[in-house]
Amino acid sequence: MSKIKLQSSDGETFEVEIEIAKCSVTIKTMLEDLGMDEDEEEVVPLPNVNSAILRKVIQWATYHKDDPPPPEDDENKEKRTDDISSWDADFLKVDQGTLFELILAANYLDIKGLLDVTCKTVANMIKGKAPEEIRKTFNIKNDFTASEEEQVRKENEWCEEK
Amino acid sequence: MPFISKDWRSPGEAWVKTQEGWEKKKVLENCKKLKHDINDETQETIDTLIQPHCHITIKCTKEIAGFNELDEAVKRLDFRSAVRDVRRFNYICALLDLLIGQQMMALSGCAQRVLIEMLEEVANHSTSSHHNPRGFKRLLNKVRALSAAERSACWGGTLGSQLLWHQHTTKIERILGNAAQMKICEPNADKTQFLHLPEECIREIILRLSDHRDLTSSSQSCKLMASIVDEQRIWRELTQFHFSPRQIELVLPKDDEKIEWKTVYHALKRTIGINEERQYAEMLSLCRYCRCLFWRSLGHPCIADQCPEFRARLQEAGGIIPPSPVPPSAFLKFFSL
Repeated sequence: MSKIKLQSSDGETFEVEIEIAKCSVTIKTMLEDLGMDEDEEEVVPLPNVNSAILRKVIQWATYHKDDPPPPEDDENKEKRTDDISSWDADFLKVDQGTLFELILAANYLDIKGLLDVTCKTVANMIKGKAPEEIRKTFNIKNDFTASEEEQVRKENEWCEEK
Repeated sequence: MPFISKDWRSPGEAWVKTQEGWEKKKVLENCKKLKHDINDETQETIDTLIQPHCHITIKCTKEIAGFNELDEAVKRLDFRSAVRDVRRFNYICALLDLLIGQQMMALSGCAQRVLIEMLEEVANHSTSSHHNPRGFKRLLNKVRALSAAERSACWGGTLGSQLLWHQHTTKIERILGNAAQMKICEPNADKTQFLHLPEECIREIILRLSDHRDLTSSSQSCKLMASIVDEQRIWRELTQFHFSPRQIELVLPKDDEKIEWKTVYHALKRTIGINEERQYAEMLSLCRYCRCLFWRSLGHPCIADQCPEFRARLQEAGGIIPPSPVPPSAFLKFFSL
Protein backbone atom coordinates (compact mmCIF):
# COMPACT_ATOMS: atom_id res chain seq x y z
CA MET A 1 0.00 0.00 0.00
CA SER A 2 1.49 3.31 -1.03
CA LYS A 3 1.87 5.99 1.58
CA ILE A 4 1.68 9.74 1.69
CA LYS A 5 3.14 12.27 4.08
CA LEU A 6 0.95 14.91 5.73
CA GLN A 7 2.49 17.87 7.51
CA SER A 8 0.65 19.65 10.30
CA SER A 9 0.81 23.39 11.00
CA ASP A 10 3.48 22.90 13.66
CA GLY A 11 5.74 20.97 11.33
CA GLU A 12 5.18 17.37 12.37
CA THR A 13 4.84 14.91 9.50
CA PHE A 14 2.55 11.88 9.53
CA GLU A 15 2.85 8.97 7.15
CA VAL A 16 -0.55 7.59 6.16
CA GLU A 17 -1.85 5.19 3.56
CA ILE A 18 -3.19 7.02 0.54
CA GLU A 19 -6.56 5.32 0.81
CA ILE A 20 -7.00 6.65 4.33
CA ALA A 21 -5.85 10.15 3.41
CA LYS A 22 -8.33 10.17 0.55
CA CYS A 23 -11.34 10.12 2.86
CA SER A 24 -10.60 13.82 3.05
CA VAL A 25 -12.07 15.29 -0.12
CA THR A 26 -9.65 18.21 0.12
CA ILE A 27 -6.60 15.93 0.02
CA LYS A 28 -8.20 13.75 -2.64
CA THR A 29 -8.81 16.61 -5.06
CA MET A 30 -5.41 18.05 -4.24
CA LEU A 31 -3.77 14.78 -5.26
CA GLU A 32 -5.89 14.50 -8.40
CA ASP A 33 -5.28 18.08 -9.47
CA LEU A 34 -1.56 17.86 -8.92
CA GLY A 35 -1.45 14.40 -10.50
CA MET A 36 1.00 13.12 -7.96
CA ASP A 37 2.74 9.89 -8.79
CA GLU A 38 2.52 6.98 -6.45
CA ASP A 39 6.21 6.71 -5.76
CA GLU A 40 6.92 10.39 -5.36
CA GLU A 41 8.14 11.48 -1.94
CA GLU A 42 5.87 14.47 -1.64
CA VAL A 43 4.76 16.10 1.59
CA VAL A 44 1.26 17.59 1.73
CA PRO A 45 1.20 20.65 4.00
CA LEU A 46 -1.96 21.20 6.04
CA PRO A 47 -1.49 24.69 7.49
CA ASN A 48 -4.87 24.78 9.24
CA VAL A 49 -4.50 21.65 11.37
CA ASN A 50 -2.12 21.20 14.28
CA SER A 51 -0.45 17.91 15.06
CA ALA A 52 -2.64 16.93 18.03
CA ILE A 53 -5.81 17.33 15.97
CA LEU A 54 -4.32 15.76 12.85
CA ARG A 55 -3.35 12.72 14.90
CA LYS A 56 -6.94 12.34 16.04
CA VAL A 57 -8.31 12.85 12.54
CA ILE A 58 -6.00 10.14 11.20
CA GLN A 59 -7.05 7.84 14.04
CA TRP A 60 -10.69 8.38 13.13
CA ALA A 61 -10.09 7.90 9.41
CA THR A 62 -8.12 4.71 10.00
CA TYR A 63 -10.94 3.21 12.03
CA HIS A 64 -13.58 4.18 9.48
CA LYS A 65 -11.64 3.42 6.31
CA ASP A 66 -13.85 0.45 5.39
CA ASP A 67 -17.17 2.20 6.01
CA PRO A 68 -19.58 2.26 3.08
CA PRO A 69 -19.78 5.70 1.44
CA PRO A 70 -22.55 7.89 2.87
CA PRO A 71 -25.74 8.32 0.81
CA GLU A 72 -25.61 11.21 -1.61
CA ASP A 73 -28.79 13.16 -0.96
CA ASP A 74 -28.01 16.10 1.23
CA GLU A 75 -31.53 17.12 2.06
CA ASN A 76 -32.79 14.15 4.01
CA LYS A 77 -29.84 13.34 6.16
CA GLU A 78 -30.32 11.80 9.54
CA LYS A 79 -31.25 14.21 12.24
CA ARG A 80 -31.09 11.85 15.16
CA THR A 81 -28.41 13.42 17.27
CA ASP A 82 -27.93 10.36 19.42
CA ASP A 83 -27.22 8.05 16.52
CA ILE A 84 -23.50 7.88 17.28
CA SER A 85 -21.70 4.55 17.30
CA SER A 86 -20.12 3.61 20.59
CA TRP A 87 -16.61 3.81 19.17
CA ASP A 88 -17.23 7.35 17.96
CA ALA A 89 -18.84 8.30 21.27
CA ASP A 90 -15.72 7.15 23.12
CA PHE A 91 -13.46 8.78 20.56
CA LEU A 92 -15.22 12.11 21.07
CA LYS A 93 -15.00 12.13 24.85
CA VAL A 94 -12.67 15.11 24.69
CA ASP A 95 -12.81 18.66 25.99
CA GLN A 96 -14.87 21.23 24.13
CA GLY A 97 -11.87 22.99 22.62
CA THR A 98 -10.63 19.79 20.98
CA LEU A 99 -14.14 18.97 19.79
CA PHE A 100 -14.51 22.35 18.09
CA GLU A 101 -11.06 22.06 16.53
CA LEU A 102 -12.04 18.66 15.19
CA ILE A 103 -15.10 20.29 13.60
CA LEU A 104 -12.87 22.94 12.04
CA ALA A 105 -10.45 20.31 10.76
CA ALA A 106 -13.25 18.12 9.38
CA ASN A 107 -14.70 21.17 7.67
CA TYR A 108 -11.35 22.21 6.19
CA LEU A 109 -10.35 18.70 5.13
CA ASP A 110 -13.93 18.02 3.97
CA ILE A 111 -14.45 14.73 5.79
CA LYS A 112 -18.22 14.29 5.82
CA GLY A 113 -18.46 11.46 8.33
CA LEU A 114 -16.28 13.15 10.92
CA LEU A 115 -18.09 16.47 10.51
CA ASP A 116 -21.40 14.69 10.95
CA VAL A 117 -20.46 12.87 14.11
CA THR A 118 -18.76 15.87 15.73
CA CYS A 119 -21.70 18.13 14.93
CA LYS A 120 -24.06 15.54 16.38
CA THR A 121 -22.01 15.50 19.56
CA VAL A 122 -22.27 19.28 19.91
CA ALA A 123 -25.99 19.14 19.06
CA ASN A 124 -26.36 16.63 21.87
CA MET A 125 -24.90 19.21 24.22
CA ILE A 126 -27.61 21.67 23.15
CA LYS A 127 -30.40 19.14 23.39
CA GLY A 128 -32.89 19.62 26.18
CA LYS A 129 -31.26 22.74 27.57
CA ALA A 130 -32.81 26.11 28.34
CA PRO A 131 -31.30 29.22 26.67
CA GLU A 132 -29.46 30.16 29.86
CA GLU A 133 -27.99 26.67 30.14
CA ILE A 134 -26.85 26.74 26.51
CA ARG A 135 -25.08 30.04 27.11
CA LYS A 136 -23.37 28.62 30.14
CA THR A 137 -22.33 25.40 28.38
CA PHE A 138 -20.64 27.23 25.53
CA ASN A 139 -19.60 30.39 27.36
CA ILE A 140 -21.79 32.55 25.13
CA LYS A 141 -22.54 36.13 26.10
CA ASN A 142 -26.17 37.19 26.09
CA ASP A 143 -26.21 39.94 23.45
CA PHE A 144 -29.96 40.57 23.55
CA THR A 145 -31.32 43.65 25.25
CA ALA A 146 -34.11 43.01 27.74
CA SER A 147 -36.78 44.20 25.33
CA GLU A 148 -35.40 42.10 22.46
CA GLU A 149 -35.32 39.08 24.69
CA GLU A 150 -38.93 39.62 25.66
CA GLN A 151 -39.92 39.97 22.02
CA VAL A 152 -38.19 36.76 20.92
CA ARG A 153 -39.73 34.89 23.80
CA LYS A 154 -43.23 36.13 22.96
CA GLU A 155 -42.80 35.28 19.30
CA ASN A 156 -41.87 31.71 20.17
CA GLU A 157 -44.68 31.32 22.66
CA TRP A 158 -47.10 32.40 19.99
CA CYS A 159 -45.75 29.73 17.69
CA GLU A 160 -46.11 27.04 20.32
CA GLU A 161 -49.72 27.83 21.11
CA LYS A 162 -50.93 28.38 17.58
CA MET B 1 -52.51 -35.72 34.54
CA PRO B 2 -50.36 -33.11 36.18
CA PHE B 3 -47.64 -31.47 34.16
CA ILE B 4 -44.28 -32.97 34.92
CA SER B 5 -41.19 -31.28 33.57
CA LYS B 6 -38.25 -33.08 32.01
CA ASP B 7 -36.75 -33.96 35.30
CA TRP B 8 -39.45 -33.65 37.93
CA ARG B 9 -36.97 -34.24 40.72
CA SER B 10 -34.95 -31.20 39.75
CA PRO B 11 -34.49 -28.70 42.56
CA GLY B 12 -36.15 -25.87 40.59
CA GLU B 13 -34.63 -22.56 39.72
CA ALA B 14 -31.02 -21.99 40.55
CA TRP B 15 -30.58 -18.72 42.41
CA VAL B 16 -27.44 -16.66 42.44
CA LYS B 17 -26.57 -13.93 44.91
CA THR B 18 -25.65 -10.67 43.18
CA GLN B 19 -24.96 -7.16 44.37
CA GLU B 20 -28.60 -6.25 43.94
CA GLY B 21 -29.98 -9.32 45.69
CA TRP B 22 -30.87 -12.85 44.67
CA GLU B 23 -31.54 -13.51 41.03
CA LYS B 24 -32.50 -16.52 38.96
CA LYS B 25 -29.55 -18.03 37.16
CA LYS B 26 -31.32 -18.17 33.82
CA VAL B 27 -31.92 -14.43 33.94
CA LEU B 28 -28.32 -13.66 34.70
CA GLU B 29 -26.93 -15.83 31.95
CA ASN B 30 -27.98 -13.38 29.25
CA CYS B 31 -26.41 -10.18 30.37
CA LYS B 32 -23.48 -11.56 32.28
CA LYS B 33 -21.78 -13.10 29.31
CA LEU B 34 -22.03 -9.93 27.32
CA LYS B 35 -20.54 -7.80 30.05
CA HIS B 36 -17.80 -10.31 30.55
CA ASP B 37 -17.06 -10.21 26.89
CA ILE B 38 -16.71 -6.46 26.79
CA ASN B 39 -14.24 -6.56 29.66
CA ASP B 40 -11.77 -8.91 28.09
CA GLU B 41 -12.47 -9.23 24.41
CA THR B 42 -9.30 -11.14 23.73
CA GLN B 43 -10.09 -14.12 25.89
CA GLU B 44 -13.68 -14.78 24.89
CA THR B 45 -14.50 -16.17 21.51
CA ILE B 46 -17.47 -14.87 19.63
CA ASP B 47 -19.23 -18.23 19.88
CA THR B 48 -19.98 -17.84 23.54
CA LEU B 49 -21.39 -14.36 23.21
CA ILE B 50 -25.11 -14.16 23.88
CA GLN B 51 -26.75 -10.86 23.12
CA PRO B 52 -29.27 -9.58 25.64
CA HIS B 53 -32.68 -10.78 24.48
CA CYS B 54 -35.95 -11.78 26.03
CA HIS B 55 -38.59 -14.20 24.84
CA ILE B 56 -42.06 -12.92 25.32
CA THR B 57 -45.64 -14.09 24.97
CA ILE B 58 -47.21 -11.69 22.54
CA LYS B 59 -50.94 -12.16 23.05
CA CYS B 60 -51.17 -10.86 26.55
CA THR B 61 -54.26 -12.43 28.05
CA LYS B 62 -55.01 -12.27 31.74
CA GLU B 63 -53.72 -15.77 32.32
CA ILE B 64 -50.52 -15.25 30.40
CA ALA B 65 -49.71 -11.78 31.73
CA GLY B 66 -48.37 -13.20 34.94
CA PHE B 67 -45.57 -14.93 33.06
CA ASN B 68 -44.32 -11.83 31.30
CA GLU B 69 -42.47 -10.25 34.13
CA LEU B 70 -41.29 -6.71 33.72
CA ASP B 71 -38.31 -7.01 36.02
CA GLU B 72 -37.11 -10.10 34.24
CA ALA B 73 -37.40 -8.42 30.85
CA VAL B 74 -35.55 -5.38 32.13
CA LYS B 75 -32.73 -7.53 33.39
CA ARG B 76 -32.57 -9.81 30.40
CA LEU B 77 -32.43 -6.91 28.00
CA ASP B 78 -29.65 -5.36 30.02
CA PHE B 79 -31.33 -1.98 30.40
CA ARG B 80 -28.86 -0.83 33.00
CA SER B 81 -25.87 -0.78 30.73
CA ALA B 82 -28.08 0.54 27.95
CA VAL B 83 -28.35 3.77 29.92
CA ARG B 84 -24.72 4.52 29.21
CA ASP B 85 -25.13 3.99 25.47
CA VAL B 86 -25.98 7.30 23.87
CA ARG B 87 -28.14 5.61 21.25
CA ARG B 88 -30.35 3.87 23.77
CA PHE B 89 -30.46 6.50 26.51
CA ASN B 90 -33.51 8.33 25.20
CA TYR B 91 -35.47 5.13 24.80
CA ILE B 92 -34.83 4.19 28.42
CA CYS B 93 -35.82 7.70 29.54
CA ALA B 94 -39.09 7.47 27.63
CA LEU B 95 -39.79 4.11 29.17
CA LEU B 96 -39.10 5.34 32.69
CA ASP B 97 -41.21 8.38 31.97
CA LEU B 98 -44.19 6.10 31.33
CA LEU B 99 -43.57 3.90 34.35
CA ILE B 100 -42.39 6.09 37.20
CA GLY B 101 -45.05 7.88 39.17
CA GLN B 102 -48.24 6.98 40.94
CA GLN B 103 -48.84 3.86 38.85
CA MET B 104 -45.61 2.37 40.14
CA MET B 105 -47.40 1.45 43.35
CA ALA B 106 -49.21 -1.30 41.46
CA LEU B 107 -46.03 -2.98 40.22
CA SER B 108 -44.40 -5.89 41.94
CA GLY B 109 -41.73 -5.15 44.49
CA CYS B 110 -39.10 -6.66 42.27
CA ALA B 111 -40.06 -4.48 39.33
CA GLN B 112 -40.13 -1.40 41.55
CA ARG B 113 -36.62 -2.09 42.71
CA VAL B 114 -35.33 -2.58 39.19
CA LEU B 115 -36.97 0.64 38.04
CA ILE B 116 -35.53 2.68 40.87
CA GLU B 117 -32.10 1.24 40.11
CA MET B 118 -32.45 2.19 36.47
CA LEU B 119 -33.56 5.63 37.51
CA GLU B 120 -30.48 6.05 39.65
CA GLU B 121 -28.33 4.97 36.73
CA VAL B 122 -30.01 7.57 34.51
CA ALA B 123 -29.59 10.21 37.20
CA ASN B 124 -25.89 9.45 37.59
CA HIS B 125 -25.37 9.57 33.86
CA SER B 126 -27.41 12.74 33.42
CA THR B 127 -25.76 14.68 36.20
CA SER B 128 -22.26 13.79 35.11
CA SER B 129 -22.69 14.38 31.38
CA HIS B 130 -25.53 16.95 31.29
CA HIS B 131 -27.18 14.89 28.63
CA ASN B 132 -30.75 16.00 27.87
CA PRO B 133 -31.61 17.85 31.11
CA ARG B 134 -35.19 18.47 29.95
CA GLY B 135 -36.02 14.77 29.89
CA PHE B 136 -34.25 14.32 33.19
CA LYS B 137 -36.21 17.14 34.85
CA ARG B 138 -39.45 15.53 33.74
CA LEU B 139 -38.35 12.32 35.39
CA LEU B 140 -37.42 14.18 38.57
CA ASN B 141 -40.90 15.67 38.80
CA LYS B 142 -42.37 12.21 38.55
CA VAL B 143 -40.03 10.96 41.24
CA ARG B 144 -41.22 13.72 43.52
CA ALA B 145 -44.79 12.66 42.85
CA LEU B 146 -43.77 9.13 43.70
CA SER B 147 -42.27 10.02 47.03
CA ALA B 148 -45.36 12.11 47.79
CA ALA B 149 -47.52 9.10 47.02
CA GLU B 150 -45.49 7.06 49.39
CA ARG B 151 -45.91 9.56 52.19
CA SER B 152 -49.63 9.87 51.71
CA ALA B 153 -50.23 6.14 51.70
CA CYS B 154 -51.97 5.38 54.96
CA TRP B 155 -52.67 2.23 56.84
CA GLY B 156 -54.32 -0.37 54.63
CA GLY B 157 -52.97 1.23 51.47
CA THR B 158 -51.33 -0.79 48.73
CA LEU B 159 -47.83 0.02 49.74
CA GLY B 160 -46.48 -3.48 50.03
CA SER B 161 -43.28 -4.08 51.90
CA GLN B 162 -42.31 -1.31 54.25
CA LEU B 163 -38.68 -2.28 54.15
CA LEU B 164 -38.63 -2.00 50.38
CA TRP B 165 -40.15 1.44 50.51
CA HIS B 166 -37.55 2.58 53.00
CA GLN B 167 -34.92 1.52 50.51
CA HIS B 168 -36.74 3.38 47.75
CA THR B 169 -36.93 6.51 49.86
CA THR B 170 -33.21 6.59 50.54
CA LYS B 171 -32.46 6.05 46.86
CA ILE B 172 -34.92 8.73 45.78
CA GLU B 173 -33.41 11.15 48.25
CA ARG B 174 -29.96 10.39 46.91
CA ILE B 175 -31.12 10.98 43.33
CA LEU B 176 -32.80 14.28 44.21
CA GLY B 177 -29.74 15.36 46.18
CA ASN B 178 -27.44 14.60 43.26
CA ALA B 179 -29.73 16.42 40.88
CA ALA B 180 -29.77 19.51 43.07
CA GLN B 181 -25.99 19.66 42.91
CA MET B 182 -25.91 19.43 39.13
CA LYS B 183 -24.07 22.41 37.78
CA ILE B 184 -22.89 23.23 34.31
CA CYS B 185 -19.22 24.15 34.32
CA GLU B 186 -18.10 26.76 31.90
CA PRO B 187 -15.50 25.69 29.37
CA ASN B 188 -11.90 26.76 29.47
CA ALA B 189 -11.77 30.29 28.07
CA ASP B 190 -8.40 30.07 26.25
CA LYS B 191 -9.40 27.14 24.04
CA THR B 192 -11.43 27.34 20.85
CA GLN B 193 -14.94 28.49 21.69
CA PHE B 194 -18.32 27.72 20.18
CA LEU B 195 -18.66 31.18 18.68
CA HIS B 196 -15.19 30.94 17.10
CA LEU B 197 -16.62 28.37 14.72
CA PRO B 198 -17.50 29.72 11.28
CA GLU B 199 -21.19 30.25 10.64
CA GLU B 200 -21.48 27.23 8.33
CA CYS B 201 -20.27 24.92 11.09
CA ILE B 202 -22.76 26.32 13.59
CA ARG B 203 -25.45 25.86 10.93
CA GLU B 204 -24.40 22.22 10.50
CA ILE B 205 -24.79 21.72 14.24
CA ILE B 206 -28.21 23.37 14.36
CA LEU B 207 -29.35 21.33 11.35
CA ARG B 208 -28.88 18.22 13.43
CA LEU B 209 -31.30 19.21 16.14
CA SER B 210 -34.50 17.24 15.75
CA ASP B 211 -36.67 18.92 18.38
CA HIS B 212 -38.21 22.32 17.76
CA ARG B 213 -37.88 23.18 21.43
CA ASP B 214 -34.10 22.91 21.09
CA LEU B 215 -34.21 25.22 18.09
CA THR B 216 -36.27 27.72 20.04
CA SER B 217 -33.98 27.76 23.02
CA SER B 218 -30.84 28.05 20.90
CA SER B 219 -32.38 31.00 19.08
CA GLN B 220 -32.91 32.64 22.45
CA SER B 221 -29.32 32.21 23.55
CA CYS B 222 -27.64 34.76 21.27
CA LYS B 223 -28.15 36.85 18.15
CA LEU B 224 -25.99 34.77 15.82
CA MET B 225 -27.88 31.59 16.66
CA ALA B 226 -31.18 33.45 16.35
CA SER B 227 -30.32 34.55 12.82
CA ILE B 228 -29.36 31.00 11.80
CA VAL B 229 -32.45 29.41 13.34
CA ASP B 230 -34.57 31.96 11.47
CA GLU B 231 -33.42 30.57 8.13
CA GLN B 232 -36.04 28.71 6.12
CA ARG B 233 -33.70 25.80 5.47
CA ILE B 234 -33.55 24.82 9.14
CA TRP B 235 -37.32 24.55 9.47
CA ARG B 236 -37.75 22.97 6.07
CA GLU B 237 -35.38 20.14 6.94
CA LEU B 238 -36.96 19.71 10.34
CA THR B 239 -40.38 19.36 8.68
CA GLN B 240 -39.05 16.94 6.10
CA PHE B 241 -37.47 14.85 8.80
CA HIS B 242 -40.63 14.47 10.85
CA PHE B 243 -43.27 14.25 8.12
CA SER B 244 -43.65 12.46 4.81
CA PRO B 245 -43.93 14.45 1.56
CA ARG B 246 -47.61 13.57 1.29
CA GLN B 247 -48.35 14.90 4.73
CA ILE B 248 -46.47 18.09 3.97
CA GLU B 249 -48.41 18.61 0.76
CA LEU B 250 -51.63 18.78 2.74
CA VAL B 251 -50.73 21.98 4.51
CA LEU B 252 -48.65 23.73 1.87
CA PRO B 253 -50.25 26.94 0.65
CA LYS B 254 -52.14 26.37 -2.60
CA ASP B 255 -51.21 29.49 -4.56
CA ASP B 256 -47.80 30.98 -5.05
CA GLU B 257 -47.59 32.32 -1.58
CA LYS B 258 -44.19 32.19 0.02
CA ILE B 259 -43.83 29.09 2.17
CA GLU B 260 -43.17 29.82 5.82
CA TRP B 261 -41.69 26.50 6.96
CA LYS B 262 -41.90 27.28 10.64
CA THR B 263 -45.67 27.67 10.35
CA VAL B 264 -45.87 24.53 8.22
CA TYR B 265 -44.03 22.57 10.88
CA HIS B 266 -46.22 23.74 13.72
CA ALA B 267 -49.38 23.16 11.72
CA LEU B 268 -48.33 19.58 10.97
CA LYS B 269 -47.26 18.97 14.53
CA ARG B 270 -50.69 20.03 15.73
CA THR B 271 -52.72 18.03 13.25
CA ILE B 272 -50.64 14.88 12.81
CA GLY B 273 -48.35 14.81 15.80
CA ILE B 274 -44.74 13.76 16.05
CA ASN B 275 -43.96 10.20 15.05
CA GLU B 276 -42.67 8.35 18.08
CA GLU B 277 -40.51 5.97 16.08
CA ARG B 278 -38.35 8.68 14.57
CA GLN B 279 -37.19 9.95 17.91
CA TYR B 280 -35.03 7.07 18.99
CA ALA B 281 -31.77 6.11 17.38
CA GLU B 282 -32.15 2.62 18.70
CA MET B 283 -35.28 0.76 19.65
CA LEU B 284 -36.11 -2.65 20.96
CA SER B 285 -37.18 -4.94 18.14
CA LEU B 286 -39.46 -7.93 18.10
CA CYS B 287 -38.45 -10.92 15.99
CA ARG B 288 -41.49 -12.39 14.23
CA TYR B 289 -40.18 -15.93 14.34
CA CYS B 290 -38.79 -16.53 17.77
CA ARG B 291 -41.03 -14.02 19.60
CA CYS B 292 -38.03 -12.45 21.11
CA LEU B 293 -37.30 -8.86 22.11
CA PHE B 294 -33.80 -7.59 21.41
CA TRP B 295 -31.73 -4.48 20.70
CA ARG B 296 -31.41 -3.91 16.99
CA SER B 297 -27.74 -3.05 16.97
CA LEU B 298 -26.79 -6.06 19.09
CA GLY B 299 -28.92 -8.68 17.35
CA HIS B 300 -30.20 -11.90 18.92
CA PRO B 301 -29.82 -15.66 18.52
CA CYS B 302 -32.65 -16.34 16.10
CA ILE B 303 -34.06 -19.73 15.10
CA ALA B 304 -34.15 -18.54 11.51
CA ASP B 305 -30.36 -18.12 11.63
CA GLN B 306 -29.63 -21.38 13.39
CA CYS B 307 -31.70 -23.68 11.23
CA PRO B 308 -31.09 -23.49 7.47
CA GLU B 309 -34.17 -25.58 6.65
CA PHE B 310 -36.43 -23.21 8.47
CA ARG B 311 -34.77 -20.34 6.69
CA ALA B 312 -35.33 -21.97 3.32
CA ARG B 313 -39.01 -22.52 4.13
CA LEU B 314 -39.32 -18.88 5.06
CA GLN B 315 -37.79 -17.81 1.77
CA GLU B 316 -40.34 -19.96 -0.04
CA ALA B 317 -43.18 -18.47 1.93
CA GLY B 318 -42.39 -15.02 0.64
CA GLY B 319 -39.13 -13.93 2.14
CA ILE B 320 -38.02 -13.15 5.65
CA ILE B 321 -39.99 -10.45 7.41
CA PRO B 322 -37.72 -8.01 9.20
CA PRO B 323 -38.22 -7.61 12.95
CA SER B 324 -40.68 -4.93 13.93
CA PRO B 325 -39.66 -1.99 16.11
CA VAL B 326 -41.18 -1.71 19.57
CA PRO B 327 -41.67 1.85 20.84
CA PRO B 328 -41.80 2.31 24.64
CA SER B 329 -45.60 2.37 24.83
CA ALA B 330 -45.83 -0.90 22.87
CA PHE B 331 -43.21 -2.50 25.09
CA LEU B 332 -45.31 -1.90 28.17
CA LYS B 333 -48.35 -3.52 26.57
CA PHE B 334 -46.66 -6.91 26.88
CA PHE B 335 -47.01 -6.74 30.63
CA SER B 336 -49.97 -6.56 32.91
CA LEU B 337 -49.59 -3.09 34.32
